[in-house]
Amino acid sequence: MSLNVIETSDLTKIYSSSFGKRKVEALTNLDLNVSGGMIFGLLGPNGAGKTTLIKLLLGITFPTSGSAKILNKNIGNYNVKDKVGYLPENHKYPPYLSGGDVLQLFGKLSGMDGTELEKKIDEMLQLVQLSKWKKTKVKNYSKGMMQRLGLAQAMINDPDLIFLDEPTDGVDPIGRKEIRDILIELKNKGKTIFLNSHLLSEVEMITDRVGILNKGKLLREGTVKELTEKKEEYKIAIEGDTVYTLPADFVLKINLKKMDKDYYSFKVDNTLELNNALDVLRNNGIIIKEMTQQKNTLEEMFISLIKEAEKENVQ
Amino acid sequence: MKNIWILTWFTLKEAMARKVFIFFFIISLLAILITGLVFALSSNINVIAGGFKNMPFNNPVTMIEMMIVSPLSSLCLLLAIFASASFVPVMLEKGNIDLLLSKPVSRDQLLWGKFFGGILVVLLNIAFLVLGVWLIISIKFSNWNFSFLNIILSVTFTFAVLYSLMILFGVLTKSSTAGMMVAYFVFIILSPLLFAAKDKFYGMIESGFVKALIDIFYYIIPKTSELLGNITTDIISGKSIENYQPILTSFAFLLLTMGISISIFRKKDF
Ligand SMILES: Nc1ncnc2c1ncn2[C@@H]1O[C@H](COP(=O)(O)OP(=O)(O)OP(=O)(O)O)[C@@H](O)[C@H]1O
Ligand SMILES: [Mg+2]
Repeated sequence: MSLNVIETSDLTKIYSSSFGKRKVEALTNLDLNVSGGMIFGLLGPNGAGKTTLIKLLLGITFPTSGSAKILNKNIGNYNVKDKVGYLPENHKYPPYLSGGDVLQLFGKLSGMDGTELEKKIDEMLQLVQLSKWKKTKVKNYSKGMMQRLGLAQAMINDPDLIFLDEPTDGVDPIGRKEIRDILIELKNKGKTIFLNSHLLSEVEMITDRVGILNKGKLLREGTVKELTEKKEEYKIAIEGDTVYTLPADFVLKINLKKMDKDYYSFKVDNTLELNNALDVLRNNGIIIKEMTQQKNTLEEMFISLIKEAEKENVQ
Repeated sequence: MKNIWILTWFTLKEAMARKVFIFFFIISLLAILITGLVFALSSNINVIAGGFKNMPFNNPVTMIEMMIVSPLSSLCLLLAIFASASFVPVMLEKGNIDLLLSKPVSRDQLLWGKFFGGILVVLLNIAFLVLGVWLIISIKFSNWNFSFLNIILSVTFTFAVLYSLMILFGVLTKSSTAGMMVAYFVFIILSPLLFAAKDKFYGMIESGFVKALIDIFYYIIPKTSELLGNITTDIISGKSIENYQPILTSFAFLLLTMGISISIFRKKDF
């Protein structure tokens, strides 16, 4: 037994379309572990392979090679899914069903029944504020309502592991906040949430760990704090144009760059290095007028990371 | 087993919501009304039937019934194919299949659920139509030929065979058009043609190769025209079935086609 709720090893997916002429490597040798009771965010540009990973884990697509486990069972075993919830991107419910019917269908398929299911349906609709719409056909739902219903559907069987593919897509700001609150509450109950998203600021707010996927490869994985603060960046304002007096290897080491008139930025790894750098600056007669710490937002980190990866690809 | 039943039930719901039942109901009602009207207006048939009333085997009524059966069963089947064509393709639509597969349901169960669901929908509709027509005839002639009701089974079985083919094409193409066209093609053209070739022209053909070719196709393609023809006639008139071969080979076709569909579906990426 392992504490990991999701484990992939060397997971690879190559889609071949038009009779194998065109091959798309959607996921390449992915090794990823997600432990229980946290919110994990998977980030990546369009086409990075985020949805593919979830589909592989749920047996909707099959891996080309490698293996994976969810809730300590091999992904080939469909019975594991009675403790799993899923909100797909662009989910589509049979339009002729009402919101209540949708929850009934998927609840029943998850092995629930009778009054237990009825109670759960009402509870879930209440939670996502769709109680009034229980009997309305889903074809008359708005986009945000569909998304809320999708979330209710993903939680109907009280799952231990929930996959959400862009859960706040199309939801208004208040609705988003409500969804975030629901997710945090789920986490507090010990559930694991695996989240695909483009909304980095939102991910930053709620996730415990994030992974960054680009072109099927996992570039980084860690806590939001680790990823955004690893290289601490500072901004200083100095008097006069005196930086040319600094030794070249030092400029290179702290990556000193001119930002604006009088303003420079540099990077250090920790507080000790910061102080060392300040000593060097001062010893070289530089007069510091002002200094502020620049923290990367997740977004900045994300963009620079993806750009770096692009560069490496070109080379 | 429970999963298959849930899926079957929701297929029924789907049919109901897509107004398949109302559509069937209206057409059936028309057919029943026309039957009623024809009998109400034509005293002739009444006289003939009345004259034969005390004969054993109640032949005239059976004869009248059979005159109705052939167009009726064909109509039923054409409607059934039309009504059920989209069941599997709709299930396979992006966003819908993803959700179904994320539940603790096996892919086999999904396909069998749609299979039995489609059959149940068609069975209910055909039962309504046939019961209606049967009631009118039976009341009119005060002659209750229960064997007539067997047509419900024969049409449903014939449908099931063609439906398995539609499921195969549904799984392969994810579109309802291909399956529907193939089913119509087999039912309207291929099966009658092969039956004629086997039954009427076989003796006249000299080339052994052509004969073998006809044989191969004849035995492989489901024998819908015989199922709705000779065999239905046999069971309606209360006789025992003369030749079980078309039933058995068609059933084998059904099993084989479902087997192929399932094995393709099991490996398919969505
Ligand atoms: N069924 C499929 N057949 C062929 N190629 C596919 C299929 N599904 C996905 N792909 C390809 O795999 C790659 C990864 O797609 P995926 O949907 O996993 O990306 P994503 O990270 O979810 O993107 P997005 O943020 O736009 O949702 C893309 O290049 C896509 O074109
Ligand atoms: Mg995606």
